[in-house]
Amino acid sequence: MNTAFPFPLSGRSVPFSLGRLGIVAGNTFLEAVRQKLFNFLLLLAVALVASAQLFREFNFGSSELKFISDFGFGAMVFFGSTLTIAATAQLFFSEIENRTALTILAKPIWRTEFIFGKFLGVFAVVGVFCALTTILLLGLLYHRETALMTANPEAFEAGRIIHYGDLVLMGVLQWLKFGVLAAFTLLIASFSNTNLYTVVMGFFVLVICHLQYLARDAYGSVASLPLRLLVQLLGYIFPNFQVFNLADQIGIGVGIDAAVFLRVAGYALIYIAVIGALAVYSFRNREI
Amino acid sequence: MKFNLAAFRPALTGFLVVVALALTGAAVRPFEEPAWQFVKSKQPALKLDSLQGALGQGVTVGLLGGFRAIVADFFWIKTNAVWEDNDLPKTQTFIKLVTAIDPRPLYFWQNGSRMIAYDMPNWRITEEGGYDVVPQARQRKIDEQQSAVALNYLNEAFGHHPDAPLLHVEIANVYLNRLKDTASAAEAYRRAALQPDAPYYAGRIYAELLRRLGRNAEAYAWLKQLYRTLPKEADAAKGITPFQVEAAMAPVVLERIRELEGELNILELQAFRP
Amino acid sequence: MTPNTPASAIEITGLTKDFSLNLRGVKLRAVENLTLTVPQGEVFGLLGPNGSGKSTTIKIILGLLEPTVGECKVFGVPSGRVDSRLNVGYLPEAPYFYRYLSGEELVRFYARICGVPKKVLKDRVREVIDWVGLTGASHRRVGTYSKGMLQRIGLAQALVHDPRLIILDEPTAGVDPVGSAEISELILKLKKQGKTVLITSHLLAQIEDICDRVAILDKGKLIVEGAVNDLVGLRDRQSLIVDSLPPAELDELRGWLAARGHVLNAVEQPRTRLDQLFLSKVSRPKKEGDSQ
Repeated sequence: MNTAFPFPLSGRSVPFSLGRLGIVAGNTFLEAVRQKLFNFLLLLAVALVASAQLFREFNFGSSELKFISDFGFGAMVFFGSTLTIAATAQLFFSEIENRTALTILAKPIWRTEFIFGKFLGVFAVVGVFCALTTILLLGLLYHRETALMTANPEAFEAGRIIHYGDLVLMGVLQWLKFGVLAAFTLLIASFSNTNLYTVVMGFFVLVICHLQYLARDAYGSVASLPLRLLVQLLGYIFPNFQVFNLADQIGIGVGIDAAVFLRVAGYALIYIAVIGALAVYSFRNREI
Repeated sequence: MKFNLAAFRPALTGFLVVVALALTGAAVRPFEEPAWQFVKSKQPALKLDSLQGALGQGVTVGLLGGFRAIVADFFWIKTNAVWEDNDLPKTQTFIKLVTAIDPRPLYFWQNGSRMIAYDMPNWRITEEGGYDVVPQARQRKIDEQQSAVALNYLNEAFGHHPDAPLLHVEIANVYLNRLKDTASAAEAYRRAALQPDAPYYAGRIYAELLRRLGRNAEAYAWLKQLYRTLPKEADAAKGITPFQVEAAMAPVVLERIRELEGELNILELQAFRP
Repeated sequence: MTPNTPASAIEITGLTKDFSLNLRGVKLRAVENLTLTVPQGEVFGLLGPNGSGKSTTIKIILGLLEPTVGECKVFGVPSGRVDSRLNVGYLPEAPYFYRYLSGEELVRFYARICGVPKKVLKDRVREVIDWVGLTGASHRRVGTYSKGMLQRIGLAQALVHDPRLIILDEPTAGVDPVGSAEISELILKLKKQGKTVLITSHLLAQIEDICDRVAILDKGKLIVEGAVNDLVGLRDRQSLIVDSLPPAELDELRGWLAARGHVLNAVEQPRTRLDQLFLSKVSRPKKEGDSQ
């Protein structure tokens, strides 16, 4: 081996590096791809096209588009949440269980870079999922809308009824929501000992975040003070996932308000940053 | 007993995480609140008490979790299944269940009311022996009963869709096709036509019904006014599509105006000039 | 290298590490008051039975664990700091690397993490892969590698940024004698290049052959530390190996020694070592490693 090594690594300080973070993210994404995590997308596509075919049987007219859109986004939310939790837990624990975390963290790398790299890798995986599902859904809707416009022109007097741009924004919002969920799952993984515990807790958090609004809406009507405080605290601890739920009725007939979209997107990004930082804090205390 | 402080570190970490999350929740609440109010305003309140009996716990959680649209879609498909079996009580229950779950899609109200007003009388008459056996008076009675249910149902829909023209159209059709009440049908079509996003045909049908009622002068005045509002050619700048031009049928309206001018003996000098 | 480079690669002072088992104060003391210095340029063996604290000590050196008491410095930098790992290469015990990467992708990944500059990245990766003898298998997925090949690719990733200190945790565990001998050869080569190598193993014969110094831990405590020759060499004895002597000549030799005040302590049949016999009889795989 060449003993006169051409680059001096010694004596340098090691500042936080987005490059290293990106390398970890890229590797995480590659692992997901090579573990064939995306294969089930094919199944999802088949299921979506098949269900769209089913709706044609019912002769719903132009409302067929609503059904396709509802089921498409329903599938995106359901499978996307599952993918987010499972992929985050799996891609994190494969590092711990295979001891690759040891080899990486024994290199000059910050744990912050490692955790945020993992997060970005999962976020990219979920992003690809959301993008492909949205494109598939848009294609399906466009195809059916074109056919329905010919068959049933009076329902389309004002032209196309689907706001395709808004559907894309909806896909983006779902992606951001999955980002918050991924960060939360990573936070759980940072102190959890097993993959299974992380997955179970991840789903638990998912359900609570979807129902969080009940706690904040209801706390005023709770009579006992300690219980009221507890309900209020729950409302503050968990983010509100319903706020991302613009999907109902959006895209067909009703448009998305740009200000609301930006606000919800900002809300997600704040939570990703905070929960990610907490995951780093918790992971730094973890003995590997 | 001696406590091991280091052993409390995971618990301390957990506590700090919870505190940080709660503080974040409190800090972002003012930022999130307007968006949440917007989303909430698009979601009518769930009347869970009326639903809980009909739905299982799992479905209820699904509804609360924000999957109303898809749950309603499922029940609509179920409605169609029982409708195919001509099962009146079940169909009626499911129709109401679907709009209780998600009253936002007009489609559910329109098609639910059609099932009630048009299909259910058929089922009832068939069950009582068929059109040849059941006396005309009884058939009429059944039509009236079902129409009343449908009209009630459609009026309930106005609570969620105030002045939706298509609901007025549905009401008009029930009056016209089931109750043979042309005057009420005409009034409903008029209301439909007056709404900003009314379908073009509503105005034409209103005029046609006025003619049927012998109110030609009213029909003439209405059509002249209507004609001026109709798009005559597509204009992308104004957002007028060829579809709209075709659906507006301005030439047909003009033709009716001319017919009415003949019937009303209007002098050529006083004739409508587009 | 910084101008004031310390003489020792690793300096552990008064190190104690406890693991808490529950909230009532029950804890496991993995390492107790360990003070140890690993000089630069030596091969240092850290020995001890399972559970003696070897792996815990290594994890502290690598900054993966924090000491409960005491301190640990690597080239003068406290081991909790990220920059202390700039000059460290680490091969964990029985590593399972990213199975979905090829050998070359794996080494490239670690090289990029270590900040190996882009312009030399490709050459450097090929160089270390060649150095550990895996060139022919570099495009195969790591998941298909044998244990010996895994150790060698692990060594390649540990060396890719040319660290001055290489830490090998049980590098020959589960590897056959041929693979084991190859790893020993590589370690000796590293020593020739002036690297410091810290190695843990319970295969004592192998350690004895390659280490300059050893430390033995037991139940977290340092029992013995010193140069191998000092520890195992019997200074007041010597062995002479000669052709077979007939009994009469042996008696004559005994007498000759007695006349000079010496004692012939033992007459034995020298034996070759079993691993050497094994290595001489078994064919060594080609260097590419693709015949395994």
